[in-house]
Amino acid sequence: MPHLQPSRRAILAGGLAAAAALPLSARAQGAYPTRPITLIVPFAAGGSTDVVGRLVAQKLSEVLGQQVVVENVVGAGGNVGAARVAKAEPDGYTILMGTVATHALNPLILKRKPYDPVTDFAPVALLAVVPNVLIVNPSLPAKNVQELIALLKADPKKYNYASSGIGTPLHLSGELFKSMAGVQMQHIPYRGSGPALNDVVAGQVPIQFDNLPSASEFIRAGTLRALAVTTKERAPSFPDVPTLAEAGLPNYETYTWNALFAPPGTPRPIVDALNAAARKALADPALVERLKTFSAKVQLSTPEELGEHVKAETAKWTPVVREAGIQAD
Amino acid sequence: MTDLLSNLGLGFAVALSLQNVALCFLGCLVGTLIGVLPGVGPIATIAMLLPITFGLDPVGALIMLAGIYYGAQYGGSTTAILVNIPGEATSVVTTLDGHQMARQGRGGIALGTAAIASFFAGTVATVLIAALGAPLTRLALIFGPAEYFALMVMGLAFAVVLAHGSVLKAVAMILVGILLSSVGTDLETGQERMTFGFAFLTDGVDFSVLAMGLFGIAEILRNLDQSETRDVVRAQIGRLLPGVAELKQATPATLRGTAIGAILGILPGNGAVLGPFASYTIEKKIARDPSRFGRGAIEGVAGPESANNAGAQTAFIPLLTLGIPPNAVMALMVGAMTIHGIVPGPGVMTKNPNLFWGMIASMWIGNLMLLVINLPLVGLWVRLLKVPYRLMFPAILMFCSVGIYSIGSQPTDVMLIGVFGLMGYLLIKFGFEPAPLLLGFVLGKLMEEYLRRSLTLSRGDLMIFLERPISAVLFVIAFAIIAAALLPSMRKSRDEVFTEA
Repeated sequence: MPHLQPSRRAILAGGLAAAAALPLSARAQGAYPTRPITLIVPFAAGGSTDVVGRLVAQKLSEVLGQQVVVENVVGAGGNVGAARVAKAEPDGYTILMGTVATHALNPLILKRKPYDPVTDFAPVALLAVVPNVLIVNPSLPAKNVQELIALLKADPKKYNYASSGIGTPLHLSGELFKSMAGVQMQHIPYRGSGPALNDVVAGQVPIQFDNLPSASEFIRAGTLRALAVTTKERAPSFPDVPTLAEAGLPNYETYTWNALFAPPGTPRPIVDALNAAARKALADPALVERLKTFSAKVQLSTPEELGEHVKAETAKWTPVVREAGIQAD
Repeated sequence: MTDLLSNLGLGFAVALSLQNVALCFLGCLVGTLIGVLPGVGPIATIAMLLPITFGLDPVGALIMLAGIYYGAQYGGSTTAILVNIPGEATSVVTTLDGHQMARQGRGGIALGTAAIASFFAGTVATVLIAALGAPLTRLALIFGPAEYFALMVMGLAFAVVLAHGSVLKAVAMILVGILLSSVGTDLETGQERMTFGFAFLTDGVDFSVLAMGLFGIAEILRNLDQSETRDVVRAQIGRLLPGVAELKQATPATLRGTAIGAILGILPGNGAVLGPFASYTIEKKIARDPSRFGRGAIEGVAGPESANNAGAQTAFIPLLTLGIPPNAVMALMVGAMTIHGIVPGPGVMTKNPNLFWGMIASMWIGNLMLLVINLPLVGLWVRLLKVPYRLMFPAILMFCSVGIYSIGSQPTDVMLIGVFGLMGYLLIKFGFEPAPLLLGFVLGKLMEEYLRRSLTLSRGDLMIFLERPISAVLFVIAFAIIAAALLPSMRKSRDEVFTEA
């Protein structure tokens, strides 16, 4: 994520700047916000996006001095909630917790597009990234990525891999792995990562791509073997697990991300106020620590960087989606 | 053994703190209330209360949420017995005999039996979770897709045999249920099926929408239709404690129900819903005089009630030991744990022993509280249920609509419960039972998933279902049940049994 590299420095600089600037900018715009803000989480209560959304909303409420209320608008893999924000009043009182699914993958997979991820939103700020991980059942005779690739090449028809569903970042991480490593595996989709983990732990399916948070307890307990994480850098919670790039697939990089979006045409001062509030909220060490417990890393950006990020993600996933042949009606 | 005792000691020390006892009580009370009120289920309630638990410590929060869940099982039985509306999906079977008992003026005994059977089952399930939690997780692990598929087939075979009236109508309802379950995005290909281009159908029909419509709304319509057969029992509630003779009848049923419910509850895939059905079928099959069933047989209350409570609690085993939610409520518990920074999974028992054992101990305390809340408060629940229809119906409709809307914020969900309500009403009028439809719906979705997954794993070879011993045995049982139901002699007696039910 080269376009995001400056943002880590920006966190420090921005955090300080925001701390100083917020009261000023708040005064400058007059009143915003004067009433509660609705944060639409396009996934069901209890999922990882919902958890991030609720944690951030709670902190945003303190920072903005107005309640930020989470509303779960579920359906169509996140599209229903995202479409609702795309069509909402651009007044800053309806905002979206977007993800890699709503703003990169779904628009590529669906032929009938309910919204355009670039033109139908005003990007506000990237919030956090979550690594994915390549895990195998410990009985599989592959101790590292190279051995796994050799195994898959030796018998291209034999092996299956599990993911939390068709068109999810995890399924596509697997497809990207297949195309970059030049190997074959049969994809077995599940309804969510829980049931998939169950079958991989039980040995029904030997290989899985999963979010690091949901898999981490199994890795620690030794019931699953982590071969590599999918991010450019190693995960702080698992310093011994190499990245796929280190393990022989240079340039391999996938991750799940969460970001705030507002409806298109939201006035710039409101977008800036939300961006500043997000920076201030995520500067709270307790919140950062809490996000870290499930391996979500705070990664902030400016509205422009987020806009570029959406375009870059779309460009990155377009060929993978095409090659996987999963375009739906 | 000493390990178990010291672990339980730790659990009770945690659960008996003033704050946790208070939270457990609050959870049980709220749970009973929402269980009594049809339409507002534990899923909607827990989802709505999740944010409030932010301020609590994780153990207390989870104790309260768990209390709501099993409290709702108790409350659901109260409505099932007194109003003939199953407050929860798991109390559907209780309506059959429980409501008849209430009409005969034995409502108090039915409620008392339900509470005592549930308490007994809860106690056994608590001990079971404590003692067998770790080894039992291996049971879930030997179940692969082929075994699950076979289990679902067996479940549907039970549903056919259990259904009222004609086998043909039952099979038809199951098939409609399976058909409804296939609406939505295909899991394997991502293609939309039978959505007719409506965005709100891309995730399929929600279980709670279907259940609320078919049972809640349809029931209201049916009651409006026949204004005088008001089902809230007007007969005396009578004494609450069953007599010696009744206890003698109920005890073996309770024991069997507990065993069945506990085993089915552990299996992921919502086995807990199957427990009461299975228990009722068995009680009826082994009874000396099956014709008593449907006319107020106490075994028909004790068996299913113990089964649903045992199942509700053993459903925590896969959650606490594997981090895998066997049903929607457990999925919300996963969410609650995650919010509090606890990663559900095999690490919980070792990393958060306070939470693991505290929750187990609180379940037993909660069950004791429920016994105390429910029996003396029956009068209050009855008064709540005796509110005139002109006040109660709009209130139930409002609760249903608010509850459904709160889950996904979809106006279309509210419209759909209306559509399914009308459909349920017509089905009742034409003599079709909605229960097999609901079961077909729940199992259909899973069956398709497991069938296709098994076949993908075997690269299309059907032998996978016979090569695996557990799957093969389950198939044999399923076919044996169907064959038995179709045998002319069995069929005759079955028809007698069910036409009277």
